[in-house]
Amino acid sequence: MQGLEAIAANNGWAMAVAGACIVMTGLATLSIIISQLHKFVRLIEKREAQAPAVVPAPKAQKEFLPIDPARILLDLEATAITLKSISGSLGESFSLISLYRLLDSEQHPHPHITVRELRDAGYLTPVGEGSFSWSRI
Amino acid sequence: MELLIDFLQNTGWYMLDYRYVIMIAIGTLFCYLAIAKEYEPLLLLPIGFGVIIGNIPFFKGFGLGIYESNSVLHYLYFGVTSGLYPSIVFLGLGAMTDFTSMLARPKLMLLGAAAQMGIYFTLLSALALGFEPKEAGAIAIIGGADGPTSIFLTAKLAPHLIGPIAIAAYSYMALIPIIQPPIMKLLTTKAERCIHMPDDSRVVSRKELLFFPIVGVLLCCLLAPASIPLLGPFFFGNLMKVSGVVDRLARTASSSIIDTATIFLGFTVGASTQADVFITTKSISIFFLGSVAFSIATASGLIFAKIMNLFLKEKINPLLGAAGVSAVPGSAREVHIVAQRDDPTNYLLMHAMACNSSGVIGSAICAGILWSFLL
Repeated sequence: MQGLEAIAANNGWAMAVAGACIVMTGLATLSIIISQLHKFVRLIEKREAQAPAVVPAPKAQKEFLPIDPARILLDLEATAITLKSISGSLGESFSLISLYRLLDSEQHPHPHITVRELRDAGYLTPVGEGSFSWSRI
Repeated sequence: MELLIDFLQNTGWYMLDYRYVIMIAIGTLFCYLAIAKEYEPLLLLPIGFGVIIGNIPFFKGFGLGIYESNSVLHYLYFGVTSGLYPSIVFLGLGAMTDFTSMLARPKLMLLGAAAQMGIYFTLLSALALGFEPKEAGAIAIIGGADGPTSIFLTAKLAPHLIGPIAIAAYSYMALIPIIQPPIMKLLTTKAERCIHMPDDSRVVSRKELLFFPIVGVLLCCLLAPASIPLLGPFFFGNLMKVSGVVDRLARTASSSIIDTATIFLGFTVGASTQADVFITTKSISIFFLGSVAFSIATASGLIFAKIMNLFLKEKINPLLGAAGVSAVPGSAREVHIVAQRDDPTNYLLMHAMACNSSGVIGSAICAGILWSFLL
């Protein structure tokens, strides 16, 4: 079979017309979408610019209580007695670093100020070679 | 002595006949055209050498030939018959394509659609010449001027015609500088060829380039799901390129991966083109129909551009219609050159690239449509 008869017998006309219409419609639709794409992008960018700026809330800060040296001094003897009782594991003489680490592990507030005040007040006295021991209690 | 005679009788020289000699000569010619004339060398050289290799005679049954199931060439040929290589090539093409000019001038996409009419005209011609419907569909896609698409659809519809169709498709793509200009000059006047296209195209933003592959793949693949194996990787490759976050992958897709697929595709297609399939009246008909397909595709793009000008205030240069075929960037370059011959100040290259890019999408959609019609 050849010629127009062959085309008709194999549905050629329908395939050609339908195929041509589908590809034209598809590319025409894509062309229309593309022609509007820049407006869509501009709309998104406009909305992002207009959205109220969200100011992040300030992070909750740790409350730093003012250090009252007088208060530490007031309780210094009691503090020394308490610390002596818990520092038994350090021995008779110990380094200030090990005492500091002990205070830190016990979550004692202001370990540096405490150790300084105890030294200044004479509750911690040097025994030589960088070691200290409790005295006056 | 007997051993020597047996050996000589097993050599290719002994089994050579005139058909193999003709095919080896054709393969050599393709290699010459690719190297000396630089006609589509990326494809013609592998195809040409494949033709030479595929037409060296041997004893069947030793796992040597491309059609023998346990041969190396047969395993490589799997990528052609399954449609794997064309998909990989399209991945690389997407990663190499810059759609900026097309997005800036969307109405030129219609010319890419119009140029696909050559496919349907050739479908009718092939049916009229007595080809089976599936064979006619495979021959018709030559009009899309897209090598990987032609091989993909032929592998699905008429695998026995891969050789002649692939060679016809790539030969005509290589002959664009010879085929298209006379048709362009015949269907346009000098005044029309001298129309300058406005150079006030808008700047395309990065977000548009990002949205386009998503929109494109959804629209085209929902319309013609059978085009998923081609357009899916194509738009994916493009998204990798424009996203900017996977530059390594995009670079690999547009270089090593596409080159590897191209080598194996061309070589195995050439090797599959053997004398008994190629030197037939069917092959000659396919070559004739291929030239018709190309010419009608060019002409339909040109004529559609002239029809568009009847409705447009700002006329478009009808030469751009010829760039609607999928042969990127050959036909865009040819349109630009033809325009420059009449007016050296007329720069049509970027506008022609817009039509070319849409032609790639259009031919892949047509392949999907034909496959779904002829399944």
